[in-house]
Amino acid sequence: MLYSLILAAQEHAPEAGEAAASNPILPEANEIIWGALSFLVLLVLITKVAFPLLKKGMDGRTERIRATLAEADQAKDEAQAVLSEYRGQLADAKGEATRIIEEARQAADKIRQDLRRQAEAEVAEVKQRAQDDIAAMATRTMGDLRAQVSLLAIELAEKVVEKNLDAETNRQLIDRFIQQVGSDS
Amino acid sequence: MSDADADRIEGYAGALLAVAKGEGVVDRASDELFTFAREYERNHQLRSTMTDQQVAVEVRQGIIEELLGTRASPLSATLAGLIVGTGRARDLVAIVDRFVAMAAAERQREVAEIRSSVPLDRAQQERLAQALSSALKKQVEVKVVVDPAVMGGVVATVGDTVIDGSVRHRLEKLREVL
Repeated sequence: MLYSLILAAQEHAPEAGEAAASNPILPEANEIIWGALSFLVLLVLITKVAFPLLKKGMDGRTERIRATLAEADQAKDEAQAVLSEYRGQLADAKGEATRIIEEARQAADKIRQDLRRQAEAEVAEVKQRAQDDIAAMATRTMGDLRAQVSLLAIELAEKVVEKNLDAETNRQLIDRFIQQVGSDS
Repeated sequence: MSDADADRIEGYAGALLAVAKGEGVVDRASDELFTFAREYERNHQLRSTMTDQQVAVEVRQGIIEELLGTRASPLSATLAGLIVGTGRARDLVAIVDRFVAMAAAERQREVAEIRSSVPLDRAQQERLAQALSSALKKQVEVKVVVDPAVMGGVVATVGDTVIDGSVRHRLEKLREVL
């Protein structure tokens, strides 16, 4: 059909040339026809073929961009979540560190107090032991001294008795013993 | 002391008593041997010599006879020498004490050992025997041992009973109090 249109245009081309010659602004009729036909063909091609393809491409790209944006948003949300989690963990870590430091401080205080109490107890014990030792030594010394004095007193008494115990006194002692034994019956 | 030792001592003491009874000198032998036993007990050197197996038996018996010859009857010296000669010098004191106890038992009496710093006269011994017999509710006969360590007064031992009236005992009590 297109070929028929071209032939018809060629047949009427001198007429168009004439008309064009008569109007320098107005193109030749065949040019208008060919132009219109070309425009229509191009319009059909664009409308039916190119535009759908272009629209499909644009839609696909739009969809990809939307998907990319959605992924970016998701990644951003995930990053935000991770950041929040990290911040939470950091806050927990800081709290834990503070708690550990506080516990360490309290433990150190307790140890210091225990050591002080222990040192005071040991000092008191050493002091008490020293006092006990001194008292025991004093008691022992007094005991030894008393024993020495007793020994000396007894030895002196023995010497006095040996010196003064004559036969008559001894006889009296024996007689007294006999009387005492006899009276016990 | 084992039963065998006790039997052996009992046997020797019985033999001594039989010999003394045969000779009719039980009292005298009892007194003399008791006095000798106390001397023997006190004298460490004498004990060592009598128990020394390196010293001949004849020599040891000669020492015994020399010691008792002037102070005791020949029979007492012979009996003591017999104990040493049979190798029982170590048990001499126990044998003599048992002999003295058996001799006293023959007379229904028990021996009271009296330690005194001075000898007791006969009257004192009799009064002491009466007093002890009365106090202990048994007939006793006294055997006096002169022991200067007593210092004064007497110590009476009858079996397991000891009645101490010595000055030494009083001084010991004083020492305990002090």
